Amino acid sequence: MSESPNVMTNEERVAYVQSKRKQTQLRDTMLALIGVMFFFLVWEAVVLTGLVDSKKLCSVLEVFKLFIVKFSDPNPDGALLLVNVWSSLLIALSGFGLAIVIGVPLGWLMGWYKGFDAFMRPIFEIIRPIPPVSWIPLSIVWMGIGLKAKSFIVFFAAFVPCLINSYTGIRQTKEVLKNVGITFGASNFTVFWKVGIPSSLTMAFAGIKVAIGNAWATLVAAEMLAASSGLGYMILMGRSYGRVDLVILGIVVIGLLGVVISALISKCEDFFMGWKRL
Amino acid sequence: MSKKHGLNLSKAEIMEHRLEILYRILPLISVLLLVGLWMIASRDFNADVGSGFPTPAAVWDRTVRLFTRPVKKMNLIMHALVSLRRIGLALAFDWTFGIIFGIIIGWFPKPRAFFTPMFDAFRAVPPLAWIPLITLWFGIGEFPKILIVIFGSLASIVVNVKAGLSAVDKMYLNVGTVFNATPMQTLIKIAIPSSLDAIFAGVRTSTSAAWMVVLAAEMLGADSGVGFLISRGMDSIDMPLVLTGMIAIGIVGAILAILTQFVERLICPWTRKSK
Amino acid sequence: MPMDKKKQVILSLRNISQSFVVKNEVKPAVEDVSLDVYDNEFLVVLGPGHCGKTVLMNVIAGIETPVEGKKYLKGEEIQGNDRRIGMVFQSLNLMPWRTVLGNVEFGLELAGVGKKERRAISQKYIDLVRLTGFEHAYPHELSGGMKQRVGIARAYTNNPEILIMDEPFGALDAQTRYAMEEEVLRIWKEEKRTVVFVTNNIEEAVFLADRIILLSNCPAKVKQVYDLSPLGRPRNLMDSDFLRLRTEISDNTDLAL
Repeated sequence: MSESPNVMTNEERVAYVQSKRKQTQLRDTMLALIGVMFFFLVWEAVVLTGLVDSKKLCSVLEVFKLFIVKFSDPNPDGALLLVNVWSSLLIALSGFGLAIVIGVPLGWLMGWYKGFDAFMRPIFEIIRPIPPVSWIPLSIVWMGIGLKAKSFIVFFAAFVPCLINSYTGIRQTKEVLKNVGITFGASNFTVFWKVGIPSSLTMAFAGIKVAIGNAWATLVAAEMLAASSGLGYMILMGRSYGRVDLVILGIVVIGLLGVVISALISKCEDFFMGWKRL
Repeated sequence: MSKKHGLNLSKAEIMEHRLEILYRILPLISVLLLVGLWMIASRDFNADVGSGFPTPAAVWDRTVRLFTRPVKKMNLIMHALVSLRRIGLALAFDWTFGIIFGIIIGWFPKPRAFFTPMFDAFRAVPPLAWIPLITLWFGIGEFPKILIVIFGSLASIVVNVKAGLSAVDKMYLNVGTVFNATPMQTLIKIAIPSSLDAIFAGVRTSTSAAWMVVLAAEMLGADSGVGFLISRGMDSIDMPLVLTGMIAIGIVGAILAILTQFVERLICPWTRKSK
Repeated sequence: MPMDKKKQVILSLRNISQSFVVKNEVKPAVEDVSLDVYDNEFLVVLGPGHCGKTVLMNVIAGIETPVEGKKYLKGEEIQGNDRRIGMVFQSLNLMPWRTVLGNVEFGLELAGVGKKERRAISQKYIDLVRLTGFEHAYPHELSGGMKQRVGIARAYTNNPEILIMDEPFGALDAQTRYAMEEEVLRIWKEEKRTVVFVTNNIEEAVFLADRIILLSNCPAKVKQVYDLSPLGRPRNLMDSDFLRLRTEISDNTDLAL
């Protein structure tokens, strides 16, 4: 293909198009950087000029300083930053893991077997509209304020999207694919196992991604309402001691961890779904 | 031939017919089972001490009592209306500002590059994590509660609108080019209508997010609203009240979901796919 | 180059080349195409596979700007899109959020034509394509053939002098396709326009065309021009001249993979 008569112009065109693309990229990165700097500048300006009460907003540097200090100083909430992070992660991941292990297979079974669907669906539809947050009081009564109660609430938040997505995913299995299995004399279960489940994986992963977001968001509520450690608890303590730097630090750490976890899940998906790119 | 049809069923047809009946009965059985489970779980409920899981009858009594002896001078419906008013005001802001902002960062490349990092950072924070900061700033009045709901549900509408506007199908834009559409016409007559379903997805998710956030906000500090009823029930070890609150929340949440779906069908009749 | 001077040239392309940069390579799609379109003729652009035809039409309609070459409309050079060129798209580009009437009057709406007037014009063309009664249906409620009728009516409303039809019937089943081919000829006779019709179907080309421009496989070049006026109209698919020409073109067509 590169043997066309006007080779030079072709190379020039490629170079031109690429430089154009690079220019746009550069422009976008610059704009993004300016945006972020603008944000921090406004923040600092507001603090330095005393426009906002120092009890309500602190300088960026102070948040960063606290971040360093919190590695070795458990005050004022009573735990090191890493201890809080660990405690939150433990709850989020245990509840989330349970939601995947129970929710995804349940969705598959409900999506495939009509009888099971008819039986389970009403129960699911009754429970679904109740937001996970409102289960907090009940779970405290049942299980106290320990790990169990909190991971139950997180489980609840993550369970629904896991189930719904694997359910719709397996329902969308193409008839043609099912028929291939049936004409080869496979039993209903074999078709379910070898055709239904693999073809629903994309949807199931989309559900898992939504689930981790829900789990992380609900965790904060659980820790604010019923906990003695964890990032949510740390923020709440910051609030009651009037330590705005601690509140902001907590928000930033929660946000960052959420981003990291979602990124890890996307990596997992790439690993499992390698065949998609074939 | 057709008259005899009812008698001349093949074995497979009879089987199918029986399964059909079974599928119709199964949902009933499961609901009955759920009620039965509830009864068993609440066997050793003691209303006086408040120990154990409340019976259905106790929850019903508590619900009725909420009307005869209101909490904070408000019955169940009034508490629900207070919560609804909060999310109503918050969503009114979300849907105006959020949709406009989503359109701007979805359609125009420069604002998109400028705002995306800031917006992504904002979005990464779980909605409820804003509660302490906002109460620190504005106290615990009515305005901070609405602000919390706005903070908690704004991201979901902006994300959807942005996704819709940044993925407008080229083929619709080509029609505009052939008909000499101005840039403004392309945006208003092609890009925005073509992403209406994405916008509505945002409306739906922001509604359910708002409902969840308002509950949490009310549970953490309020003297009205259904979330308050639950935390009140928890504080005074009044489990039937907690369950009343949960059921009310579930019903209102379901009604909200149905309502948004209904409005979507009304406004976008073309999404109603013919079978 | 055809030297037929009896007819007036309305559109001419001169040395049009179009290519795309994909990663680090230049992929040519159209190479050095020059052709003339005569006033009120039914020109069919015939080419194998999926190569270059749509790109060439997009260049004529002004959706794409060619890398090289010029286009002239009635002797004057034009760039980009022109109101005098209308297009019926290959993929059914109807807007699902608009009714049949809304889709048909879309162009007029953009041009700022008043409501009453654009209703009247749209109705005329809806009647022309025989969709009377379906004005308020949504595209998803229509069959494939009906959707293409809407597409044709929409292109007509702006009163273009040249109508490009880019493989409009590619997605239709054979029966509907035959019916729609006859419909296009009927509409063309009732509302005479210059039509540039793209297809990869040789039979369709021979059935419809005044002239056929045969394109080569990738990148698209003009391979041969056939004048079909001796065949006369209406055409008979079993006519010996028809079959002879069909075979001739078929033998001359590049195989597409």
